[in-house]
Amino acid sequence: MTRFILTRLLLLALGLTLASLLIFFTLRLLPGDVAQVIAGTDSSPEQLAHIRESLHLDDPLLAQYGSWIGGILHGDFGNSAITGTPVASELVQKAEVTVPLALLSLLIALLIAVPLGVASALRRGKLSGTLLGGGAQALAAVPVVWAGMMLVIIFSLWLGWLPAQGFPRQGWADPGRALTALLLPAITIGLVEGAVLLRFIRSSTIDAIGRDYVRTAAAGGLTRTRALITQGMPAVALSTLSVLGIQVAGLLVGTVLVEQLFTLPGIGRMLVADVGNRDLPKVQSEILILTALVLIIGTLIDITHRALDPRQREAAE
Amino acid sequence: MEKSRIRAVLALGLIASLTLVGCSAPGGGGTSAADSVRVGLVLEPTDLNIRKTSGVALDQVLVDNVYEGLVRRDADGSIVDSLATEHSVSPDGLTYTFKLASGVTFHDGGPLSPSDVLWSLNQARTDETIKDHVLLSKVASITSPDMGTIVITLSEPDSNLLWALGGRVGQILEESSANDLALSANGTGPYTAKAGSWKQGDSLTLTRNDSYWGKKAGVKEVVFQYIPDATAAVNATLGGDLDVQTGVNANLRSQLENSPDFTVTDGLTTDKYTLVFNQERAPLGDPRVREALRVGIDHAALIQAIGGAGVPLGGPIPELDPGYQDLSNRLPFDPERARALLAEAGASDLKLSLSISNHYGTDIPNVLVSQFKNIGVTLEVKRMEFPTWLNDVYKNHNFDLSMVNHAESRDFGNWTNPDYYFGYNNPRVRELFAESVAAIEPEQAAAKLSEAALIVAEDNPADWLYTGTAITAIRNGITGFPTDSTTSRLYLGNLAVTE
Repeated sequence: MTRFILTRLLLLALGLTLASLLIFFTLRLLPGDVAQVIAGTDSSPEQLAHIRESLHLDDPLLAQYGSWIGGILHGDFGNSAITGTPVASELVQKAEVTVPLALLSLLIALLIAVPLGVASALRRGKLSGTLLGGGAQALAAVPVVWAGMMLVIIFSLWLGWLPAQGFPRQGWADPGRALTALLLPAITIGLVEGAVLLRFIRSSTIDAIGRDYVRTAAAGGLTRTRALITQGMPAVALSTLSVLGIQVAGLLVGTVLVEQLFTLPGIGRMLVADVGNRDLPKVQSEILILTALVLIIGTLIDITHRALDPRQREAAE
Repeated sequence: MEKSRIRAVLALGLIASLTLVGCSAPGGGGTSAADSVRVGLVLEPTDLNIRKTSGVALDQVLVDNVYEGLVRRDADGSIVDSLATEHSVSPDGLTYTFKLASGVTFHDGGPLSPSDVLWSLNQARTDETIKDHVLLSKVASITSPDMGTIVITLSEPDSNLLWALGGRVGQILEESSANDLALSANGTGPYTAKAGSWKQGDSLTLTRNDSYWGKKAGVKEVVFQYIPDATAAVNATLGGDLDVQTGVNANLRSQLENSPDFTVTDGLTTDKYTLVFNQERAPLGDPRVREALRVGIDHAALIQAIGGAGVPLGGPIPELDPGYQDLSNRLPFDPERARALLAEAGASDLKLSLSISNHYGTDIPNVLVSQFKNIGVTLEVKRMEFPTWLNDVYKNHNFDLSMVNHAESRDFGNWTNPDYYFGYNNPRVRELFAESVAAIEPEQAAAKLSEAALIVAEDNPADWLYTGTAITAIRNGITGFPTDSTTSRLYLGNLAVTE
């Protein structure tokens, strides 16, 4: 187990290093530079040269990469080229929108997927089960943006229940308002992600129903549902856990789209604006942190999975 | 099975009834407390540094509201006194004398002294890294003979000086202030923008300056909410999240007009939607080809396609700027003639590309593609991010056609700079422009500009598609919100809530 954890951590470090190289150099392929964005369309060459110099844009790429990574190793994620604010503090500030949004979306996705997934598996072959499965299939194919627009039309413009866009300026000082602002965006992501998850839970539950140990438990006098829940669900939960790891990345992409749609001041919207302004010192740290987040969650899930599932441990030993 | 069917029917019924309720529910409504006005804006500044960062999005919110100059540009393009209580110009046009208002303090409490004015203007004049510093290039000296007077002496007359002083370079900052200009602003205006008032990617909040030296602002705070998406902005307005929406997309205006809570206004702007022809590229160097492209564009149809949010222009100077003349009928739409001109130039079956930043909608490019097709020109649209446009078109001049909204007022000077991406080079135009700048009488300056503008229009280096109309939706009970020039200036000193 210790060896497994060490190997995974080593892989994580390797992955992060590769990611940092990839992020840094691919971003440099983007045409246009931040100095020109700051200086605008009626700037003099002197102004431009001065801005480029003060931002170290003319330094050799390897030197720029070195100073970026060097800073990160000392806990400094650099500053925005435009406002000069530290990237880390802004990420923390924007995270107060994005993290609750992602968690709420995940919660909604699970609330949809788990009961409906299991129910549709139990009703396989019946009309309701088929409807649920088909509905999920259709819903999973719905573009997030379209789903969001429909929800806005129904719940904001028609019913006037929930705000169509924006986040309270006071942030979480008024938790009720903040939560209301996040509800529609979270439902948007939750519906689509939940549909994906539903199909997975449905098929793994169907798989579990067919397993010998569930059938044995049922033969021992338990109802089929009870047998499934006590004997089959741990296996379903384990495999769902690993799917969730993959879905974290999908969830982040979802928040980027939904933050644009609902004008939420989160990490996704910041990232899009920063790429648009070619604020590369900021963008590279933001993407690296997000990549790290996904890789770390993946690693943690791998380790948890290994720890919880005795079969995997034995197979390795 | 039976039970689940009943449930399905019930669920459908619930959705249907929700929908019906929704149809009859009032469209938002919302409350507008007298102490806060929420204004929807389209473009957000990249930061708040009035000295370094370009873009009218920054002028729009900070100039005149937070910072003040000796004079200020009014929405109709005229110049009015601001920190100066009065000003006079010597007959030779070389000496400008301003009487400085007394009892003025900066937002951090420090009093405004003549030395702050001298420092601010001299900094703008001498530091070439400061935005627009060239606008003060004719200033020879700035002095303060007594505590209440500022005298600006020029080396030669400059008819644009007062206008320049009403812009970025004329804003007065506090010499001793050490605030971070990128994140906060310490000015003398009726509103403050202290550190933390800007939530990047979301909003900027201006708070009333209660110790303002002049007439205090009518509302306690103004919240600028940045909503780039046109539909989201209309939804926010109808949903009660905004009191004023600027830059309403013309094709969505009817939604707001149907609401009894809002009044929709059409304002003049200096937004010149300019389709530039790169003359360095064959066959665009041929004047017949450029003229063909211009007469091949049906401007009325184009304006209709964007929901009517524009007025014909025809030349480089918009209605709000000095030197304007109506040139919109000089080259009437004539596809026959366009085809003949192209044939004469040996440029039939022409293929051109249009480089355009993707923050402009697809309406204009689509119309141009079909109108050009009609005269036998294939137009390929290359949509790109703004920094890419800056690099390819603006810096490297690598384009056939490009479309940009040149929103700044009085930017005719760009046609006198051969290195600008327009690539336009006409010594006579430069001469006339210099004469206009050197003119002492405003009428004379405008006449020279008019003459120069006509020459530019006749050379067809571009087509001036239209001047934009600023569509603003204002909630009933809100007064004093400007409706002209809203894309570059939003003076809110007169804003009030009456209900």
